Amino acid sequence: MSQSSNPNPFTGPSGKKPTCMEMLQFILDQEATSEQKEYFKTHMDGCMPCFKSYELDMSIRQLLKSKCCGGDAPADLIEQIRGQIAQKLS
Amino acid sequence: MTEETQEAPRQHYTDKEKDDVFNNEFLPHIHSMYNFGYRLTLDRDDAKDLVQDTYLKAYRFIESFQKGTNAKAWLFRILKNSFINDYRKKSKEPNKVDYQEVEAFYNSDEVDRQITPDLRVESLKDMIGDEISNALNALDVDFRTVIILCDLEGFKYEEMAKILDIPIGTVRSRLHRARQLLKEKLSDYAKSMGYKNADV
Repeated sequence: MSQSSNPNPFTGPSGKKPTCMEMLQFILDQEATSEQKEYFKTHMDGCMPCFKSYELDMSIRQLLKSKCCGGDAPADLIEQIRGQIAQKLS
Repeated sequence: MTEETQEAPRQHYTDKEKDDVFNNEFLPHIHSMYNFGYRLTLDRDDAKDLVQDTYLKAYRFIESFQKGTNAKAWLFRILKNSFINDYRKKSKEPNKVDYQEVEAFYNSDEVDRQITPDLRVESLKDMIGDEISNALNALDVDFRTVIILCDLEGFKYEEMAKILDIPIGTVRSRLHRARQLLKEKLSDYAKSMGYKNADV
């Protein structure tokens, strides 16, 4: 799908056209505005490398979230912290 | 005086207000803090000590914290500083890396030519064990940290810049390199699991 008629919301003050990689990074880093997200979604319809990279990066993020959140802190940690604070205050 | 005490004008809290801030604004982040501590130290006991130190410091400097502001970023910053100042110095670190050197290398143009991870979404579906966790843990701590802060904890550039004491531009480039390196590690796992040279 062509976006030539729409101004690219990723374009910075210098007017330099952003690369696919630059747009993708803003999206992945969760720094894109809703307008930029919309633009990128449409852009991906016509740009297979962006679509593939986006899919891959989002799958990695999902995997990270499901496997690397490590579970809860030990149950006694809060009590230990409170105990130490109380000791310091006394 | 530590960095934690320098940012906001000093608040004046009663004991009850201090307890309220501690219980309602600091403690709810304890699980994220523990995970961050674990991912930095790669040891559960060290993580526990680090989190404990962090909360004690947070209580000691509680009047530098303005109620209702970003407690999570403030706590993460204290934990990161404790890790660098206390833990890293104490630990043996047999293979200590010069992080500036590593970063200079990974920010050079050379690296984009060297790192071209062959990785497909399909191969990730088979990583149901510890592959992703091992890949993350295998990254140098500075790269590991930005992935945790952004992808697991959802911090913004500005928050990460404050937590890590680096410019936003460095946050961006470090994140970019960290993602590349993580893909490279995952690609190695994928290959060892039988996915040969996927045609991305």
